[in-house]
Amino acid sequence: MAHIAPEIFNGLILGAFYAVVAIGLSLIMNLTGTINMAHGSFMTLAGYLAFALVGAGTNYWYALAIAPLMAVAVGILMERTMIRPLYRRDPVYSLLLTFGISLIAEEAFRLIWGPNGVPFSPPKGLGGGISLGFTVFPVYRLFIAGALVVIILALVIFLQHTRYGLRLRAAVQDREMISALGTNTQLLYMVNFGLGILIAGIAGVLAAGMLGLNPQSGNSLLMPAFVTVIVGGMGSLFGAIVGGLLIGLAISLTTLYIPAASEIAMYVIMAVVLLVRPRGLFGEEGIFG
Amino acid sequence: MKPIGIWGWVATAILFVLLLLAPQLAPRLHLALTICTDVLLFAIAAMAVNLLLGYTGVLPFGNAAFFGLGAYGAGLSIQNFHVGFITSLVIGTLAGVVGAVLIGPFLLRRRGIYFALLMIAFGQVFYFIAYRFTNITGGEDGMNFTRPPLEGLGIHLQDAGFYYAILLIFTLVVVGFWLLVRSPFGRTLVAIKQNEVRARYLGLNTDRFIFVALMISAAIEGLAGACYGLSIMFAYPLLLDWHQSGDIVLMTILGGAGTIFGPLVGAIIYVIGEDILSTALPWWQIPLGALFVACVLGFPKGLLGTALDLLPGRKNRIEPGHDLDFAAPIIADRETTR
Amino acid sequence: MTDSKVDRKTFLTTAAIASAGVATGFPTILRSSASAKDVIKIGLDYEYTGVYAAYAQSETRGALMAMDAWNARGGVMGGTRVTTVSEDNDNNPGIAVEKARKLVNVDKCAALMGSINSSVSLAVSGAANAMNILYIDSGGHADAVTGADCKYSTFRTCHSTWMETHATGFSLGKKFGKKWYLITPDYAFGHALDAGYRDVAKKIGATIVGDDLTPLGTTDFSPYLTKVLGAKPDLLLVLVQGDDFVNCLKQAHEFGLVGKIPIGGPQVELEAVWALPEAARVGFWGVEWYYKGANVLGTNNKLATNFVNEYRKKYHTPPTARSAFGYITMDRLLWGINQAKSTNAAKIAHALAGTKFQTIFEGTTYYRAADHQLMWPMWLGGIRAKGTPQDKYDVFDIVDRQEPDAIEQSVAEKAKVCKMVWP
Repeated sequence: MAHIAPEIFNGLILGAFYAVVAIGLSLIMNLTGTINMAHGSFMTLAGYLAFALVGAGTNYWYALAIAPLMAVAVGILMERTMIRPLYRRDPVYSLLLTFGISLIAEEAFRLIWGPNGVPFSPPKGLGGGISLGFTVFPVYRLFIAGALVVIILALVIFLQHTRYGLRLRAAVQDREMISALGTNTQLLYMVNFGLGILIAGIAGVLAAGMLGLNPQSGNSLLMPAFVTVIVGGMGSLFGAIVGGLLIGLAISLTTLYIPAASEIAMYVIMAVVLLVRPRGLFGEEGIFG
Repeated sequence: MKPIGIWGWVATAILFVLLLLAPQLAPRLHLALTICTDVLLFAIAAMAVNLLLGYTGVLPFGNAAFFGLGAYGAGLSIQNFHVGFITSLVIGTLAGVVGAVLIGPFLLRRRGIYFALLMIAFGQVFYFIAYRFTNITGGEDGMNFTRPPLEGLGIHLQDAGFYYAILLIFTLVVVGFWLLVRSPFGRTLVAIKQNEVRARYLGLNTDRFIFVALMISAAIEGLAGACYGLSIMFAYPLLLDWHQSGDIVLMTILGGAGTIFGPLVGAIIYVIGEDILSTALPWWQIPLGALFVACVLGFPKGLLGTALDLLPGRKNRIEPGHDLDFAAPIIADRETTR
Repeated sequence: MTDSKVDRKTFLTTAAIASAGVATGFPTILRSSASAKDVIKIGLDYEYTGVYAAYAQSETRGALMAMDAWNARGGVMGGTRVTTVSEDNDNNPGIAVEKARKLVNVDKCAALMGSINSSVSLAVSGAANAMNILYIDSGGHADAVTGADCKYSTFRTCHSTWMETHATGFSLGKKFGKKWYLITPDYAFGHALDAGYRDVAKKIGATIVGDDLTPLGTTDFSPYLTKVLGAKPDLLLVLVQGDDFVNCLKQAHEFGLVGKIPIGGPQVELEAVWALPEAARVGFWGVEWYYKGANVLGTNNKLATNFVNEYRKKYHTPPTARSAFGYITMDRLLWGINQAKSTNAAKIAHALAGTKFQTIFEGTTYYRAADHQLMWPMWLGGIRAKGTPQDKYDVFDIVDRQEPDAIEQSVAEKAKVCKMVWP
């Protein structure tokens, strides 16, 4: 039984990662109908940038702040030059475009940082473990748990209690109306895309220290994040959080007790949710409400 | 859709003459004949995508699940039951259909980008199954099998023989596809693609039409996968992966979704391009990705679609592949989901 | 990886110069420059892109050194020069098969070698067999290559999975004790490793106190590691591979397991160790070949010392086990062609099968006639966190050696699964 408690906690951390990635994905998806297949690449990019910054002597905390912003700059450049012309077209095009970009990114990472993983460790202060009596738990994981909670809370406040968040949510409901009311929708798209990449980037740097960093590492979080979006309900912030945690828990508990089922577990949850509630667990409550 | 006209028939005739002569032409172009076989295989696979994307308006980004099921279906039936050439292809085809029957009801619950998202996710389940059930599938090591002889005749099809067999299958699929999209059923699909809500108001059970289209598409995809399995005499989990799906969708769009021969054009460029690039460049995934980007930004109608537009007198025609844009996919999804 | 920046183009260029201007790459451009009559071409079908790129590079370097040595001696079959054509298979069996066919049918290669990924090895083995072309699997370890899927036309240089587990199982059991805990990746290769260790455990009377199957793509090993800490085994066998392996060892360090419980496993690539963070440079692992130590190279093995010295001079890193696979594979392939005076697969295969020879390690060896597996010893190495002061690459302390007959299945066992069909 001593395994269960840390395992539940690990599952929740994993789930919080899925939730954060899923929120970024669905921000972009809801406003512009773009399935960003390159979302994982931006996580990896931020991870590698942080790795390079730390390697060049930058403090870990600065790297954690700067690397995601650099990824955002790349993301916004991509959105303005390549995705923007596709907003009025079928979403298959932006999906294919971002898929192509993820292929380019993966190969570029390989060329720059080598085909195998690179060692990226959290700073000394976050190393080691804390004894919780029944088990030892790594400090870095506790830090990640705290950081993810902060990110999620910040997003909730931003989207629900600021003017800008209100506009974003309104624009998802009715683009023409918000545009007619004088909001610059193109600016809104750009900020929204940047926000999605920003949280992906922070998650990417955090994940690099825990799950490793290699050219494909971000993509391994992408599929669970897709499933999280479907399970939680498109457009529901609360749904993404609950869905992510649910899937994280399901994966870690099946890993412990029925390892053979752990890869399929999230798809089973997805199938059941679709049968019972085609719009996802919290899909009908409005957009990021 | 209008008949393709005299020049269309001439172009089609020239195309088939070239395809018939490929075993003679390929060596002169420093191409292996097996690459030409692959072109035809992937053209078949891309036609399966085309039926859904170009004529029904749903994006099957997960089609590789059916492709891979076809390859495993053929391989497993050969390995375990020593079936013949044609039987293995039939079993591969059916394997694709079974896969679609299993996930179809889930996919049909959503439209637009969510359909694509669901298909990516459910398609991945088959990948895990192939990877995990080592005793049956060989897991990540994949499974070797031999190409069986033709039933009754005992002939082992190799090289040019195998190429012509695949060319025959390709031709049958093209003819079948052409008849299908011209049939009332095909026209209904296009109507659904153009406006599903309206089609439903007209009393059509659009779910049922899309489901049948999905079955047909999965059958074609399974057939293509079975042919590929027989070509390389091997089946492995990556065949079911979403990257494989992406490649096949790219071929479709590259050539031109909604045109009969677009998938073939896309497959020619993709397969031969990959063959040449991967020999010349160690980082050939970059030009491949760039091809996606260029195709999406520069030739959204695909090469064949764009070329057809340039023909005199065709500018204002409404081709199913030429109006991929349905402006508000999310809204469409909201209205079609019950 | 210290030299991962050297991409394929660079080393192909080097190779081209090394082989006196004979074209080794870009066959589309240079194909017609040499007719099939005055040269013999060997096709290299490798994972030059993707996660195995570094290993493919090492194997190719080793192979080119062997080829150069033959060319310096005047080539094969009384004066025919040898050249290579290399193709990237993208770590994908389907593409690998197409590339194998291209190498044979378009580039007119006489024989094939290659591959790191077992799945690719199996696929190419089948394709080469269908073309009646000799193929030596230099680096794919799956038992099936020289087991259930064995072919008259296929030989294998690197050790089988069975050999890896048995060599390390015997050595580690002797060194640390008989209460084992296994962390096993839940896919075909993991299952094969697991079965191997269970067989060793039965033979030496070890008990397996825990065996956790980790799913595909597991990046978080914390649940298993906490269980290991509770079970207090004599030895933790880590069977996960690649980047997962690095994660597992890093997390073992985080959870305070390193130092408390000895860690070991079937095999670790030298290229990978060089790239490991120091926290993960722990444990005792199977070593398939090493560039130092009398235990490996012997005391008076000119061939081996020359190989190591020349390789270091040329590529500025020591040769790895992968380099040795490439060297031995190319060397024996050319020896076989020379001996058979033919590029006919059956003739080369008859020449190679069962013939004893000496090469870049201590002792004699041979490709066993029954299954075409190279029968050679395996070593156990402890990892040094920092290398030695004289040589930062020298990270292994070779502590044990196991002879081939003890670690591979017997001919009688193999005969049950491997049925070779000769033309």
